[in-house]
Amino acid sequence: MESLVTANIKSRPTRTIISILAVGIGVTLMLIIGGITQGTLNDYLGRTMGVGADFILQPSGASIFYAFSSAALPIKLGDKLLEVPGVATVAPVLAKFSSADFGLVFGIDLASYNQLPGWLRIVSGVSRLEGDDVIVDELYAKSHGLRPGMPIIILYHKFVVSAVCRPGAAVRIFVSLKTLQEMNATPDKVSLMFIKAGPGMDVQKVFSDLKGKYPDLAIVRTSDPSLLLADTRMPGLKEFRFTIVLISMLLSFMVILLAMYTTIFERTREIGILKSLGASRGFIISMILRESVMISCLGVAFGTMTSALIREVIVTAFPTLQVAMSFVDILRGCALGMTGGTLGALYPAYKAARMDPVKALSYE
Amino acid sequence: MTIDGHAENTIETQDLTMVYRSGKVEVVALREINLSVRKGEFLAIMGPSGCGKSTLLHLLGGLIQPTGGKIVIDGTDISRLSDAERTAVRRRKIGYVFQRFNLLPTISARGNIELAKRIHGSGHSLSNGSGAVIDMLGLREKLGFRPTELSGGEQQRVAIARAVITQPAIILADEPTGSLDSRNSRAVLRVLQDLNEKLKQTIVMITHDAEAASVASRVVEMRDGQILSHPAHGAYEPEFEGLF
Repeated sequence: MESLVTANIKSRPTRTIISILAVGIGVTLMLIIGGITQGTLNDYLGRTMGVGADFILQPSGASIFYAFSSAALPIKLGDKLLEVPGVATVAPVLAKFSSADFGLVFGIDLASYNQLPGWLRIVSGVSRLEGDDVIVDELYAKSHGLRPGMPIIILYHKFVVSAVCRPGAAVRIFVSLKTLQEMNATPDKVSLMFIKAGPGMDVQKVFSDLKGKYPDLAIVRTSDPSLLLADTRMPGLKEFRFTIVLISMLLSFMVILLAMYTTIFERTREIGILKSLGASRGFIISMILRESVMISCLGVAFGTMTSALIREVIVTAFPTLQVAMSFVDILRGCALGMTGGTLGALYPAYKAARMDPVKALSYE
Repeated sequence: MTIDGHAENTIETQDLTMVYRSGKVEVVALREINLSVRKGEFLAIMGPSGCGKSTLLHLLGGLIQPTGGKIVIDGTDISRLSDAERTAVRRRKIGYVFQRFNLLPTISARGNIELAKRIHGSGHSLSNGSGAVIDMLGLREKLGFRPTELSGGEQQRVAIARAVITQPAIILADEPTGSLDSRNSRAVLRVLQDLNEKLKQTIVMITHDAEAASVASRVVEMRDGQILSHPAHGAYEPEFEGLF
């Protein structure tokens, strides 16, 4: 049987294409921005756990985004932490966000940092962080064409690459803690401290002791990713994600609403004909909804393919940027695109179903 | 259910009244119309523009609700039914043929005819006993064409096929030859006559055209919302010739 829905979609190609594009853009927006957000979090999680510390200590209420945390911890706190029974290593870090590199720069004390299991494994150059030395990971070096001995501007400061380390470290750029403190005008202050318990120590007991001694500081166990990514440690992220989803859904909703609303006015006479044939309100509503579902389906397919393409482009052009796009993310994006599109058609469908058949038949 | 107790009546109206209201202004479109149409009868309703013919046809088809009186269609009083219930009656018992054909332009002739079956709930294709109607209307070779690819006469035959394919009790035809040239008009009237004579299809047709009305078995004339006459077949002489 010839489908009236398919025929209607084909008969208005411009409207159909614009609607498909709009739904697709909504889905793409959701998948790409959501993917970059999730990719950044996954990247953070992997790198943080890769440091191999048992605990991360930050000022109270600090964000997981280290760069958002002020340098509020006195570096001398590290010495006191070492006095807590069971604490073997404390590595103080000052984190700064480099907008030019779209990533973090860690100011570290190389000696204490290299005592952690995630120490910097040097693949070329000299393992040294003094003065204007900088150590970058292989991925960063490759994407910027860097080798040991080459100069590089970071945070408006000229550094010289002393070594290239393996990727997987906490960040991609490491400089001397002292240099970064001077650049930041926060001498003797750090953003966070990585803490490692001694071999064979009861990690939970060490954690309890630390919490007991420093109740006003934020101490998180790195063995639990859910704690690392707890909402309280990511202020605004939940709202940001919700806003992206809302905007994407609204885009699908508004475009389908407008397209179908215009369509039912164009088709007033056709709706009158259907009513004269005895078509129920349910039949007319179903017809409009099926049309919007079909357009939304095509839009979602277009959006998914576009997102996959954009993801490849981003990953190729910016190797340090992660775009997470799992099957579940894609399913969620499709479901939200479909929902937005279908909801957008409800009012026009209802309006069409309630049309006066006599007026509709005489519509010019 | 009948009003006058005559079991053979497919359509009966009793004191059927329709008043259109627009603010404080009232326009009486129909005044206490009493009309009976027997099963298998071909009734033509004639009258000048604005006399209430179309309103009467819309009421008989359940497209609008009367402000007074009763309408019994094939045993069901539709005058007090809800919109959904009247739609159901229309779907089961009535086929419409319009002056402007009113075919859906995006689908083929076959699609238009099948759509009526689908809405009616009697299948999705033309396979079930639909062939006789298609052949009778001479549409076998035209089913794949879209309405814009067909002549006016062919479009009207498709519209007639769409109206009769679900075997409704009544065909309501609103000026079915009004948009056709004389040759196509004669062809469409012949089709309607054939449907009435061969398939015993009850037909109510409104028309301005005395020649079109002449194919009906009975003609009534309307003026100012009232039925003027119930002349016997062949005895009709329109009183309003030259008014339009």
